[in-house]
Amino acid sequence: MDKREKDIEKLKDYKYGFSTDIENIRAPKGLNEDVIKFISNIKKEPKWMLDFRLKAFERFKQLKEPNWQKPKYPKIDYQDLYYYSAPKSMNDKPKSLDELDPKLLETYKKLGIPLQEQARLNGIAVDAVFDSVSVATTFKDELTKQGIIFCSMSEAIQKHPDLVKKYLGTVIPTTDHFFATLNSAVFTDGSFVYIPEGIKCPMELSTYFRINASETGQFERTLIIADKGSYVSYLEGCTAPMRDENQLHAANVELIALDDAEIKYSTVQNWYPGDENGKGGIYNFVTKRGLCKGKNSKISWTQVETGSAITWKYPSCILKGDNSIGEFYSIAITNNHQKADTGTKMIHLGKNTKSKIVSKGISAGFSDMTYRGLVDINSKAKNSSNYTQCDSLLMGNKCGAHTVPYIKNKNLDSNIAHEATTSKISEEQLHYCQQRGLNPEEAVGLIVNGFCKEVLQQLPMEFAVEAQKLVGISLEGSVG
Amino acid sequence: MTEQIKTDFDKIVKTSAFSEKDVEQKKIYLNKFLKTGFPTRKLENWKFSDLSQIIKKSIGELSFYNDYSFSNKVDTSIFVEGLEHNKIVFINGRVEKVDFTHEDHDKIEINSDFKFVNRLEHNNSLLSLNNAFSNKCYKITIKKNYSLKKPLVVYHSTNNKIKSKNINLKLEFQLEQNSSLRLIDLFNDGAENNFINIFYNFDLKENAILKNYKIDKLQNKNIRYSYNNIEQDNNSVSETFVLSSGSNFSKNEINCNLKGEYSSAFVNGIFSLNEGQHHEIRTIINHLVENTKSYQLIKSVLGENSKSAYQGKIFVDSKAQKTDGYQLSKAILLDETSEFNAKPELEIYADDVKCSHGSASGSLDENSIFYLMSRGLSYKQSKELLINGFLLDVVEKITDTEIKNLVKNMIGLKE
Amino acid sequence: MLKINNLSVNIEDKSILKDFSLNINPGEVHAIMGPNGSGKSTLSNILSGKKGYEISGEVLFENNNLFELETEERAHKGIFLAFQYPLEIPGVNTNIFLKTSLNAIRKAKGEKELDAIEFLKLVKEKARELKFDEEKLNRQLNVGFSGGEKKKNEILQMSMLSPKLSILDETDSGLDIDALKVVSDGVNTLRGKDNSFLIITHYQRLLDYIKPDFVHVLMNGKIIKSGGPELALELEKKGYENFN
Repeated sequence: MDKREKDIEKLKDYKYGFSTDIENIRAPKGLNEDVIKFISNIKKEPKWMLDFRLKAFERFKQLKEPNWQKPKYPKIDYQDLYYYSAPKSMNDKPKSLDELDPKLLETYKKLGIPLQEQARLNGIAVDAVFDSVSVATTFKDELTKQGIIFCSMSEAIQKHPDLVKKYLGTVIPTTDHFFATLNSAVFTDGSFVYIPEGIKCPMELSTYFRINASETGQFERTLIIADKGSYVSYLEGCTAPMRDENQLHAANVELIALDDAEIKYSTVQNWYPGDENGKGGIYNFVTKRGLCKGKNSKISWTQVETGSAITWKYPSCILKGDNSIGEFYSIAITNNHQKADTGTKMIHLGKNTKSKIVSKGISAGFSDMTYRGLVDINSKAKNSSNYTQCDSLLMGNKCGAHTVPYIKNKNLDSNIAHEATTSKISEEQLHYCQQRGLNPEEAVGLIVNGFCKEVLQQLPMEFAVEAQKLVGISLEGSVG
Repeated sequence: MTEQIKTDFDKIVKTSAFSEKDVEQKKIYLNKFLKTGFPTRKLENWKFSDLSQIIKKSIGELSFYNDYSFSNKVDTSIFVEGLEHNKIVFINGRVEKVDFTHEDHDKIEINSDFKFVNRLEHNNSLLSLNNAFSNKCYKITIKKNYSLKKPLVVYHSTNNKIKSKNINLKLEFQLEQNSSLRLIDLFNDGAENNFINIFYNFDLKENAILKNYKIDKLQNKNIRYSYNNIEQDNNSVSETFVLSSGSNFSKNEINCNLKGEYSSAFVNGIFSLNEGQHHEIRTIINHLVENTKSYQLIKSVLGENSKSAYQGKIFVDSKAQKTDGYQLSKAILLDETSEFNAKPELEIYADDVKCSHGSASGSLDENSIFYLMSRGLSYKQSKELLINGFLLDVVEKITDTEIKNLVKNMIGLKE
Repeated sequence: MLKINNLSVNIEDKSILKDFSLNINPGEVHAIMGPNGSGKSTLSNILSGKKGYEISGEVLFENNNLFELETEERAHKGIFLAFQYPLEIPGVNTNIFLKTSLNAIRKAKGEKELDAIEFLKLVKEKARELKFDEEKLNRQLNVGFSGGEKKKNEILQMSMLSPKLSILDETDSGLDIDALKVVSDGVNTLRGKDNSFLIITHYQRLLDYIKPDFVHVLMNGKIIKSGGPELALELEKKGYENFN
């Protein structure tokens, strides 16, 4: 195989790299009040929503882009982006899936996400977000029977304004950091979930994010509320076409768990990572924060981060309710020129709060990976504990692995334990697997999956299989 | 501050015998310092300790002028008894005594007018301050194949003649091939509310051994900053022990460049704090070539309103295969008002390395206290015994038996 | 089946094997005995394709030049190495490892891959034959296994993969008498007119249970004497030092 052929083969690895030729409606390029009004207007939002956005924008204008993260990137011209892009066919909202543009259905089919309910995916309800808008939500009726609300954010603003008003921005306020505030000003769509008191959601809820249009940022906003004693498991998946430009994805996700409620949030992030030379790819700058508001509540984040040119996110838990629990399980893989700076924050405020962090970082090629985390035990958080385990695996000596945990303990009744290791796959292990007939890439895949096992186990079955494959694929070309 | 510092600087220039060139150089450092001032929490390195605020709160207005034209009387009662040693005595930042009576004089070279070469370009404003205001810099060279027979004790003394002053001092040590030095820094303060800013530079050639023990034990109301830069060639060993306990505020930074194969660095530290004290240790160990090793153990015992911070970074260059780096920090919080902060950091670019860190903090184990009490000890005794045991294994890491016993006696640790 | 012609091996200028030659025909069991440092383990490493050696000479396996094959290709063609020190692979389930390995080899041979049910049936049967604790099949590969369990696991893998040439690298070391019997039963069951064995050992003990056709004495990188099973007994009596 010559180099070009090899390159083509490599590109095939990112099987989601196609783009859909579809007519779009876009907001004018740039970021200003008019664009925000345009977005709010096209979504027929009430005034309070527009005010929320404009307040955030006022704040945004005073904020400086942060620069403390490890992966640096060229300056983003926020005036040179489109902040809204929607398939034209979505302009008059289709009433049912049958009315949905066949091109869109086809796109999701290619991605392995069938939207037609007859092709049900192991009983997972899906909300599909295409560029800036939600195009379809499946299994709505079945969920409605139990009082569960699962719809796009735009729809929730129209149909459930009281819930949205009550909770939106309570975990990530409009006055938060740069990217979160930008999101508050310009967010376009996303998913909304409300699980009523005492209800255990009977199926996995899932959102599938797809960036299609070029020069477009994706700013979705997800809000999940688990009322007293309820339970929900939520999954998100992400892909984008291969483009030479870098595209910005700055989402906000807010979770609220009331007394005795539990939210499990899993992410399999496979945005386009750029080519082998580091050209193109998504900037994945996402703010995810969960509030364990009630006593005995639990929020668990699980993430498998294999895509994006730069991943920069810290899904966090604020453990406010007494006896609440926060968990963070993460696999982050970087290859070629990818960079990741990710981890979590566990803020212990209530009594007897517990948190657990398990992070597995794998870097190969010329990539760079940072685990950054904060464990903060407040003086009122009596009898709280944290356990953190960060393991890094390096493949080759052109990549980097960094562990930066911040630990703050202001409480004598509390215990914090932190462990971290950095290692590599040994030649002996590889030889052993190869002697048993596995080729080097299969061997690496197997060993790395073993390394990540603790985290993979946290994923729902269907996603775990997908994630295991992804772990193997992401590291292809990194051995030998 | 700016006006005060400029006036003080001019005053120093007038009363000292600096050459014109020196003054030019010092001016550059002064301006560099003025640009940023004292570090604030906005700097990542000072995240846990906002020096600017700390100085403002506990000292208020600092004076930067020191008159070094008069000598101070050396109070011999401060000297360590029962240990023969060489001495360097600083009083209020002025060198009053340099005494190597126990050594072969042709094996040690003392240069009293050394120009501190600034290899530490880390944008450290305190280094600029030090360079602008420090009076004399001694360079001590230990010649090839020579091991100092007795330890060198550097006495850092202050007396009540000074208050609200900034004192800057620095020393440069060169350890030539196969040489060795045991260095004890003893802090002995009669003065209050001063900011003491100390820079040491160590250059360790092949097979050289440095053991540096910093003992800040006596309660005092000063703010202290101390920076050790250690450069290490092949097979050299550095051992640094810090007892961080006496000053109101103290920050020890240790930057170690392992640039020769098979060189190794050990840092062990104890924070024993109380009554509003706030101490920090920050280490950066740079593993730059193959087969280097570092080991760090830091323990804190924190009483009322006290706060300790440990920032430890292990950097492994892509060339530094077979690095062995280890870091452990543990803290016991004795009181609801105490606070422990840590940032143990690994930055690794080589794949065949063994690096790990651990950190744990919590209260004294009530079960152990209960166990001891059931054997007849009082609550207070049980607590002391457990703290004693907790700290003892750090002191046990001191490889020099003579000094280990000295340290044990000083801090009242029992075996 | 295996032809080794004038094999010389060096590591960083140190000579390990010198002009080593050996011929193994289908169905034959060869034992190589030698003291520590004689080059025994190097031989098994070379045959299985471990990197890091300077090699000259020729090794043919069923007329394929072995040095042109990657480690896994050699495994596909039917070479199995029972490691002296089986590796621990954290997080990897023993069953999954076995299944992946078996199917990789079956696929390479053009055979149908086994599904989970077929595989489990087979592995349970083999485990029972070898008195291998079935519960261990669900544990992480070799993690927390005793020395004997690790060696038994190697033999279980061997019987699963039914290789043409099995190389046993000091499989007897660290085994108690019961485990030794299990291991030899495993080998004897697999013995047949198409399957060959190369048994590398320090002691004669294993050869009481697995009767070799040929015994070779390896010292300082060279075969100094070859013969039948009686050679092993002679060696045991005299010791390596006096053998010369």
